[in-house]
Amino acid sequence: MRYRMPTVTIDGRPFDAEVGETILDVARRNGIWIPTLCHHAALEPYAACRICVVEIDRGGWWQVVTSCNYPVRRDITVRVESERAQRARRGVMQLLLARCPESPELADLARRMGVEATPYPKVTEAQRNCILCGLCVRVCEERIGSAAISLAGRGADRAVAAPFRLASEDCIGCGACAAVCPVGTIVVRTHEDAGEVEISPFKSRVKLRRCAQCGEILGSELVRRALGARGGPTVVEILAGGDLCPRCRRAKQARELAAAVPAGAGSGTASDRCG
Amino acid sequence: MGTVATKLESAETLAEYRAAARERAARIDRVVRVCCGPGCIPKGAREVYERFVEAAGELADGGVAVEPKLTGCQGLCQRGPIVTVDPGGIFYQGVKADDVPEIWRTTVVGGRVVERLLYEDEQTGVKAQTAAEIPFYRGHHRIALALCGVVDARSVDDYIAAGGYEGLAKVLTAMTPDGVIEELTKSGLRGRGGGGFPTGRKWRSARNAPGEPKYVIANGDEGDPGAFMDRALMEGVPHAVIEGMVIGGYAIGSSDGYIYVRDEYPIAVERLRDAVGQARELGLLGEDILGSGHSFDIRINRGGGAFVCGESTALMASLEGRVGEPRAKYIHTIESGLKGKPSLLNNVETWANVPQIVLKGADWFASFGTEKSKGTKVFSLVGKVTNTGLVEVPMGMTLREIIYGIGGGIPGGKAFKAVQTGGPSGGCIPAECLDEPVDFDRLTELGSMMGSGGMIVMDEDTCMVNVARYFVHFLKDESCGKCTPCREGVAQMLEILTRITKGEGRQGDVEALEGLGTLLEDTALCALGKTAAHPVLSTVRRFRDEYEAHIKEKRCPAKECPGLFRYQIDAEACRACGICLKKCPVEAITGAKKTAHVIDLEKCTNCGTCFEVCPFSAVLKV
Repeated sequence: MRYRMPTVTIDGRPFDAEVGETILDVARRNGIWIPTLCHHAALEPYAACRICVVEIDRGGWWQVVTSCNYPVRRDITVRVESERAQRARRGVMQLLLARCPESPELADLARRMGVEATPYPKVTEAQRNCILCGLCVRVCEERIGSAAISLAGRGADRAVAAPFRLASEDCIGCGACAAVCPVGTIVVRTHEDAGEVEISPFKSRVKLRRCAQCGEILGSELVRRALGARGGPTVVEILAGGDLCPRCRRAKQARELAAAVPAGAGSGTASDRCG
Repeated sequence: MGTVATKLESAETLAEYRAAARERAARIDRVVRVCCGPGCIPKGAREVYERFVEAAGELADGGVAVEPKLTGCQGLCQRGPIVTVDPGGIFYQGVKADDVPEIWRTTVVGGRVVERLLYEDEQTGVKAQTAAEIPFYRGHHRIALALCGVVDARSVDDYIAAGGYEGLAKVLTAMTPDGVIEELTKSGLRGRGGGGFPTGRKWRSARNAPGEPKYVIANGDEGDPGAFMDRALMEGVPHAVIEGMVIGGYAIGSSDGYIYVRDEYPIAVERLRDAVGQARELGLLGEDILGSGHSFDIRINRGGGAFVCGESTALMASLEGRVGEPRAKYIHTIESGLKGKPSLLNNVETWANVPQIVLKGADWFASFGTEKSKGTKVFSLVGKVTNTGLVEVPMGMTLREIIYGIGGGIPGGKAFKAVQTGGPSGGCIPAECLDEPVDFDRLTELGSMMGSGGMIVMDEDTCMVNVARYFVHFLKDESCGKCTPCREGVAQMLEILTRITKGEGRQGDVEALEGLGTLLEDTALCALGKTAAHPVLSTVRRFRDEYEAHIKEKRCPAKECPGLFRYQIDAEACRACGICLKKCPVEAITGAKKTAHVIDLEKCTNCGTCFEVCPFSAVLKV
């Protein structure tokens, strides 16, 4: 039998799909919006936030599944906008709003889903304004390789924390956790006076590296070391421009170029172009 | 125990070994079985056993050969410690260590009965000499528990002498793997852990699943409140679980087994470890079992203390050394389970049924039970019931037969209100359903479920809102917290239920609970969360009036929720003794000699002290 791509029919529209893709992959590729919170294209699906649930036809009954990790293996019929699927997603959002009433990002997503408010009081708070999606934990482990933070505690007491809830020794201060946090709870703070970068709320602090010339902050000292260990010095040097900030690096390159090119060879001087 | 083990190289050598063990047993004149099951141990059964061992040692030259056996659960926990003496099957209950000399003199040596230790029917006063005469044991049929309470729980020789490993020998010498699966399919056995999935079909999928190696796992992470079926099995007949697993390994083509035991069951862990060691020594585990070419070994893993680890994917994560949290099962563990390999997970009780089924045949097994639920089921009967204990009965027996026939009804002349089955995922079944047969499908239709077999009986003094609150509280503590609906939704349900039981319920609370129930069922990640609302939904369905009474009238009909009922002194019954007056911490009671006392409701804090101290039951809850 010839191989035929499975068809994923979403709200009545058929789409081709590859075996092994998720329902969310197919939907996104075809411009269908399904809200997500704990999903990130660079990370393994986790399916913990449950905000991406849709209905699928199980032959006589409809099952609510998470679209971010439901694998396409054969033809599937999916309902994204059905009443039940919407009610389920909104119900989950209401629970999250009760937990994190202060996050503007979450409120924005809620509004986009048609949820204006939550009927629930705030009853769980092991960590301020955190939806426990686990993206920070997973990016730190899967991508950065540090595993500086992890999910500690159980149930309502669950929280993201470094071991013993102390500042982590494994944190390299890269800020990837802050970059993926969908509700703006994790923040990178620079403490210029101490010359340190802090990943809040984990209290981890790492020495800052500064531009050798102008003293501008380049980022965490340990990130450079980690990158060096991973990619080799050449890649690092190219990407980071040695010990210089981007502006000083450009100026240095301009000076070197000006020195290398004989005067009058071009239509102007290097300094004309680069300023 | 027994002789120095030699590796049994074939089914014939096993048969010879069995014959030798039986010959040794035949030379014993008296067997004293001391129940050291989950109910009897806390009541001092081990000391009773040790006294018998001492006595047997002293009497070694006395001419009568006596063998005290330390057995698993014999069933009637309410009356433990239980001691039975053979021949004759004399059944003693409530035995204390100090009773041992008398039993020894009178029964073991003298062959007569110690009347005062016999079971006495509370209503009729009739004494029973053997288990068969006791109503609790009528209707029992032991398959999974066949040898529990009979053989010495620590002795492989005892197990073999009683027919143990005969099923395995039959499988390895006379059956193909497909034949085993067919037999199991034909038997109609369904998973005893709660799901009720047809075991034969599961084994078939495991056999067909591509990938090597395959794993065989026993789920011994029993954690439902009030349940101790699996504990009794693992402690009482560890070899039955092992034998079942070796057969399972042969059927699906696996040589790696794991038993995941709840760590709060230290005796079960010890018994299983010892039993695995014994089986290895005899070659019943290891390479080339009984010369068949089938190799299989078992590792014991102690659980990490989380209820959710009884869920298959969380259990496997825990086995791998990771945090015991569930993951999506869109790809089944049969295909990709432990370490990403095909994994066959069955509950301990399911495994214990297997040797009996292959030995006695599918038709025999299927002759018990109902159309779609074959065989028997082990239940732990607890709560407000006269005879608590471990029960194994054919599927389809009615709740009334179990609770009233076997359990002896509700103590203290109280009325039956409901029975909770299926643990925290189950529900409460009311009195009007007492004549319903107990099987997988019927219990589900009634809004509860079979679950692993916990049965908690409740009487009229039990508040159903409070029952729901208890289970939701349990689940809130046990939720792993990975998925939003379970972590947040169960906490919200608890908030609402707590409010209601405090008399602060609001209009719309019941509807909010129902809404959360649907949300959890639809969106939670694993079965713990999906079914977390069942205790709430089933009590709302059956006892909505109790919820309404709490919310609208601020009244607890069962008079259990503090503050939602009042204490009042019955002037007729009050003897004016003054005890309540003296004990009342807020001086809310007034009265004088020969004058009935009165509670000042303005001052009363509903602490219940007067109710507890009144010697004449004159303080009433109204």
